[in-house]
Amino acid sequence: MMASTDQPVYIGRTNSISAFVDDTSGGHRRSVSAIPTSRFAVDNTGKSQPPPRPPRSPQPVAGVGMASNMDRISDSSLKGKSASTNTAASSQHSSLSAPAPRPRYDRSLRRARKPRSQYPRGGTESHVEYILVASFDIDRGPIMEHQYPVAITGDEHMLAELMLPDQAHVRTQDWTVFFLHKDSSQEEDEAERRAKEERRARRRRRRDRAKGIIHESDDEDDDEGDFDDDWDDNESTESEPEGGEGAPLVYVLNLVNTKQDKTVKRGAVVKAMAICTRHPFLHIYKPLLLLALEEYFKSPAPETLSMLFDAVNEMDLSLMPKLSLLERGLLQASDNKDLFVEKFERMIQARIAEETGDDVADQPLDASRDPPKRPGIYRTGTKAHIETQATYAVPRDTHEFESKVMYKGIPIPIKVPVAVMPETVGDFSLIKLIQNFSDAHAKSPQTFPLHPHLTTNGPTTHPIIVLINALLTQKRVIFLGHNMPSGEVAEAVLAACALVSGGILRGFTRHAFPYTDLTKIDDLLNVPGFIAGVTNPTFELHPEWWDILCDIPSGKIKISSKIEAAPITEGLVYFQQQNPTYANLINGTSSSSSSSSSAGDLTGDAAFMADILKSISTRAGERVVRAKWREWVLKFTRIAAAFEETVFGASALYVGSDESETNVAAGVSSGHGYVWVDEATKAKELAGNVTRIEGWRNTRSYYSFIQDVAQLYTVRPLKGLDLAHLHDRLRSQRLTPTQSKEIYDALAKYVHTYDEICLLLSVAPESHAGLFYVALGLFHKDRDVRIKTAELLDRIAEHEAGQHWWRQLSRFEKLAYVRIKREAEQEKMKGENGLNGFTPVDTKRIS
Amino acid sequence: MGAAFSMSSLFGKLFGSKEVRILMLGLDAAGKTTILYKLKLNQTMTTIPTVGFNVETFTYKNIKFNMWDVGGQDKIRPLWRHYYSGTQGLVFVVDSSDHARIDEARTELHRIINDREMADCLLLVFANKQDVAGAMKPHEITEKLQLAKLKDKLWFVQPAIATEGEGLTEGFGWLSDNIKKMPKYGGK
Repeated sequence: MMASTDQPVYIGRTNSISAFVDDTSGGHRRSVSAIPTSRFAVDNTGKSQPPPRPPRSPQPVAGVGMASNMDRISDSSLKGKSASTNTAASSQHSSLSAPAPRPRYDRSLRRARKPRSQYPRGGTESHVEYILVASFDIDRGPIMEHQYPVAITGDEHMLAELMLPDQAHVRTQDWTVFFLHKDSSQEEDEAERRAKEERRARRRRRRDRAKGIIHESDDEDDDEGDFDDDWDDNESTESEPEGGEGAPLVYVLNLVNTKQDKTVKRGAVVKAMAICTRHPFLHIYKPLLLLALEEYFKSPAPETLSMLFDAVNEMDLSLMPKLSLLERGLLQASDNKDLFVEKFERMIQARIAEETGDDVADQPLDASRDPPKRPGIYRTGTKAHIETQATYAVPRDTHEFESKVMYKGIPIPIKVPVAVMPETVGDFSLIKLIQNFSDAHAKSPQTFPLHPHLTTNGPTTHPIIVLINALLTQKRVIFLGHNMPSGEVAEAVLAACALVSGGILRGFTRHAFPYTDLTKIDDLLNVPGFIAGVTNPTFELHPEWWDILCDIPSGKIKISSKIEAAPITEGLVYFQQQNPTYANLINGTSSSSSSSSSAGDLTGDAAFMADILKSISTRAGERVVRAKWREWVLKFTRIAAAFEETVFGASALYVGSDESETNVAAGVSSGHGYVWVDEATKAKELAGNVTRIEGWRNTRSYYSFIQDVAQLYTVRPLKGLDLAHLHDRLRSQRLTPTQSKEIYDALAKYVHTYDEICLLLSVAPESHAGLFYVALGLFHKDRDVRIKTAELLDRIAEHEAGQHWWRQLSRFEKLAYVRIKREAEQEKMKGENGLNGFTPVDTKRIS
Repeated sequence: MGAAFSMSSLFGKLFGSKEVRILMLGLDAAGKTTILYKLKLNQTMTTIPTVGFNVETFTYKNIKFNMWDVGGQDKIRPLWRHYYSGTQGLVFVVDSSDHARIDEARTELHRIINDREMADCLLLVFANKQDVAGAMKPHEITEKLQLAKLKDKLWFVQPAIATEGEGLTEGFGWLSDNIKKMPKYGGK
């Protein structure tokens, strides 16, 4: 029956609604409010989960098997912030790694970064927090039947309505997604504060113990907690912005079944079961819900819920490594199935070591001795893996962690995304969304009524651009899918959130109602700017409820006749005053604007959409399309920063220290931000973007972005440098040899540590030219630049992620690299012969 | 009788008739969905409770009806008001055999009719389930629903057996005739 693994697992659609529940932790009763609290920004109290706990075996296993060759990270680079961010410190590194050839077996200098699990064993956080069952009572309408383990909210009725989407009676099966907003109550804040103090106290006690001071309260329990602290070796991952505007959302995946049944009154039973989780990858539970709801029809008792609850919470994700934000970005943008595979291996090695009782910690790391042999680690599904029947295996594709859930003795395979970017919830396709609203437009271009925030390319602005403009400027956006499963509209909403976020901007899912209906309309209208999915065409008849309506079946987007006009803002006026020549290009500000702005593609959006559609038609794949949108959003934020700096003289959208003393002293080519070929191009692009930038300012996503920028700055490596800026200059500007020398020098001088290299890789994605422009330094006329670039490439090739970029490098550039290395080698030989005894220490050790 | 409906969609296309919006309400299990699909498909469907709504378009007497059938359970009745705006005709369906809830039906009907947005709409009441023994006759329904109280309102009570399709043509005949007279419809 439903047993086999390749089951109708992903056939269903998601369909969703958001509601707002504020509740307290544990089993307390919660009250439901359908209005999102306006508490956004500033507080970060949302972190109600304890920091992820590490796997129990605390000791890193230095280099086993593959990992030993790949993973050589200078230890000091791990020790986090101070070392990696302080340019003075990192320039010391250069003396370590500078004396060329590859420091291959230099284990004493480089040790594996301790692997950390995203969802450690013994963690307090459950995968699934609640299971709910609702049904449509023929006399009363939607009612809640059971909530397990405890009631999630006092307002059962609201939840029951969400669980039974409109027209559930016309299909046998439908999926919904909705979000619950769980405000952390005072109690919770209190608990969080206590937990922090507890951790601090533990640390203190441990330090004291180390000094020989014994506390009476010291007991066994303490030791367990100590691991938490020990594992916080990499603070940057801890302080990366995650939550945003408050408590993390509770995501609800809901399955509705309608069963015709002659024996019951009015001939049918409609029941729904939902899983509530804080994991954004809620779609992994689809096969389980299918099985469990079927089971519930047979035995409608709380035990059916508890069985599912226990099964999903026993799912083991403890071998899934935790990635930093930079690493996640790299993995997301890359198609490489091996990227970061070393991390998975290290997780497994640590686990095996733990299980075999090896205490690697006691063995001094000795470069001369090979680590003890361990069972081989193979890839899932490979011949070797099957033959050896190894317990552990690294995933076939590092983008997905493979696990299973045992449900009633049946193993259900589960694939969990390893790198999830902010605002990515559930399973959706940007390609599907884009195609849906491009096909009709391609056949007969839609003409929009002009609105400065929306029609940035005039009346024939591409519908997808109208959509993203509406999202950026916080309009009320509705996706309507009449006669569609509610799961499909939910998918469109989730895709739209990811589209506009690009993993960079936030505040969209928090105001998204993936599926909603008339029962929530009053609450919906209280939300300033929302993204909602509906199936009820009544919404179309109420243009006062929305600003743009995206009709999924027809693929058309409508701008409401009742949309509020865009105000004339200071920024717009200043820009016009400062750039009188370009003022008339700004859309919606003069009568000629429509023709002029549509004539020239000032924003570049028309070209961008053409490129996206080409990528789709050539089957470039979802990952490529997502990466391209991410770039679009990134570019938008950088243009906005440039706009603010131009018009107001300053911008909070970029934090950096151009003027920082180290840079000035080092003579680093300063400068930051988006790079234009010349001033005229810049003025035109700004003119094209003015109105939507002005519409974006003062929105939730704008403010949370400012916060994120500031917060990221604190954890980001290379604070003084805007690597993206430098790389863009190499890429798009005609530079004199002196100018490019400055840039190459800066790269060579400052990019050393693990995180710094990650950052460099992230501004030179594989999907673009990869390291091409960086490697062009190998052809610089200045010999010093050539050598330094080769050394930089050495470091990149040694890097866990960088090795893949290195492999992608063109043959032409690789040859140049080899030639330069050889020359350098020969020079050195000559030098050594001449200057006996002056060989740098490192070189000695390597040879 | 029913043939008139299925043929009519063709006429609708030929003459490009105007669309009128009809809202069909009533307590749960009154027979709304059965009426809708009898009109649309000329088929007696076994219906199950409506979760939310149904909406169908069909043409009769050269008028294109866009008819909304909204679920009638107690708890979802407050949603009815969202369907009022732009409605030209209200079809209120009553289970004539349900003596116990006829007062409840009256309360709901008057609440709808008294809404400002429904001021100009026509009211057609289907006294449904006439085939059930002990069903109230049209005049009883008129009385129980206190229709005489309604001022400035065009209303009509039509006995019906939705499952057989009986009375539906007559009811929609009345509706069509009066719609054509409405100024909004450009009628005479």
